[in-house]
Amino acid sequence: MHLPHSTLKQEFVKKWIMGLQRCKFSNKKMSIFERKKAIKLSADTAMASARKGLTCWSRALISNPDRPVPTTTRRASSACKKIVKRSRRIRRTAKCGAARKGQITRSIAQCLVRKRTQILKSLIPGGEFMNEVCLIEETLDYITSLRVQVDVMRSLASASARASEPHN
Amino acid sequence: MESKAGTTETRSNITASDGEQVAALESLQFTDEFHRLILAPTSDNVTSLTALLELPASRALELLHSPASAKLIAAPAPSFEALKGNFLFPSNTTLIDQAARSSVFAGGVNNTNNKSNAPETTSNNSTLNLEKAVKSEPAETESSQPLVSDPAVEKRNFKRKDHEKKAKGSTKKSKTAANDSSVGPEKLPYVHVRTRRGEATDSHSLAERARREKINARMKLLQELVPGCNKISGTALVLDEIINHVQSLQNQVEFLSMRLAAVNPRIDFNLNSIFTTESGSLPDNKFPSMVMPLIWPEVQVNGNKQQHQQQWQFDALQQPVWGREVCNNYITPENSLLSYDSSANSATLHANQTENGAMKSEEVPTVRVVERLL
Repeated sequence: MHLPHSTLKQEFVKKWIMGLQRCKFSNKKMSIFERKKAIKLSADTAMASARKGLTCWSRALISNPDRPVPTTTRRASSACKKIVKRSRRIRRTAKCGAARKGQITRSIAQCLVRKRTQILKSLIPGGEFMNEVCLIEETLDYITSLRVQVDVMRSLASASARASEPHN
Repeated sequence: MESKAGTTETRSNITASDGEQVAALESLQFTDEFHRLILAPTSDNVTSLTALLELPASRALELLHSPASAKLIAAPAPSFEALKGNFLFPSNTTLIDQAARSSVFAGGVNNTNNKSNAPETTSNNSTLNLEKAVKSEPAETESSQPLVSDPAVEKRNFKRKDHEKKAKGSTKKSKTAANDSSVGPEKLPYVHVRTRRGEATDSHSLAERARREKINARMKLLQELVPGCNKISGTALVLDEIINHVQSLQNQVEFLSMRLAAVNPRIDFNLNSIFTTESGSLPDNKFPSMVMPLIWPEVQVNGNKQQHQQQWQFDALQQPVWGREVCNNYITPENSLLSYDSSANSATLHANQTENGAMKSEEVPTVRVVERLL
């Protein structure tokens, strides 16, 4: 996927505008949350379709566009669990009497990595079904697409804010 | 000896630690696959990365421990920085470069396992040949060219070290590479594997090692992409950063979409009118004016299309500046997602227009219009 940044932006904008237009006719009056949802939905779908089905996350996003908002409570609990597990493991190996520090740290590291990959899988759309290699590739692609999306939306929002200023 | 000094120097530069050795091994995984991909005609630029990088997974690849690969690890660093602006997989080509060079050496060393000058010269020649093939790839191969001569020199030096390693009891295993049937014109029927001391050589562990090294390569790409990950070592922490980044990006999208929804309830996106009025005949500096009337606090709902079309053309003739005041007589009968009020007539007008309007002509002006936004 050697798409440069700008063509991706153009594709995304094209499709987003088309999506927004199509949303127009459905509901005459929408609350702000519905509108926000519609905007986000059209933006996400546009971003996913700009990928032209080459990536797994784009297909997953198109087929299931409603994703829960990511929460931020996961991190503290995982840190606590990590400490508990580490102490448990050290106690266990102390009982066995084996001084294989390398193995202990390695297994702890593996556990941490496994936890992180699980979190990452929950973040990337369609991530639960990928193996690790695919997951990392999809993450790469997803991050670039998200960046493009954020750039476009931000410039649009700032432009509209600027345009509406002199008329208030 | 000079060469020895040079060898040790380069070794120290590359910090011949285990990690680097692993990295050296990993770069050679892509040897055969990239080899094929380089020499086979790559049709377009939209080849999927997954297709590109998944190919090694489908093979039971054996690694050829080419000592020159240690030098290759240092090579990608400058090309990464050069391609920093290009978010989308800059290291694809870097990996291709690596593979180009390493595959050359693979072919060279394959012929003779022991010391001789012949493979080095042949590797030089085949390096040049492959270099020509790689040149046809997009322009990022420029970075590889200055490094062609160096790996050849390093290779000779490393060969001596290699024999020392052999004496230390490294094992050797050969397997028929399954890529004979593939497209590549240069065939590699046997790939000899030289494992490090103390490592298992059965197929499972080898495959697992190959997989692990592939994962490490991807992680490096991710580290390049996510800001602030370069200095962090350790997979778990890097994954932490990546997760943070993805979450922050998703939150930004949410926030921005909420902001766009709330910007102004009376803001219209009158892109339809733009499409119908201006069918791509506007010069570029007029486009901001076209976008301005879109984002417009709606003053009146009445008005017919004719009027405001003319007004837009009139505005287009001027030289507008983004954010400048615009006449207040603009009439925006159309309504969009971002507006509360919508009259039924204009909505139906819209409906007719969108469905019948030529989508092709819409797309071009849209892109150019919003390009100015970007």
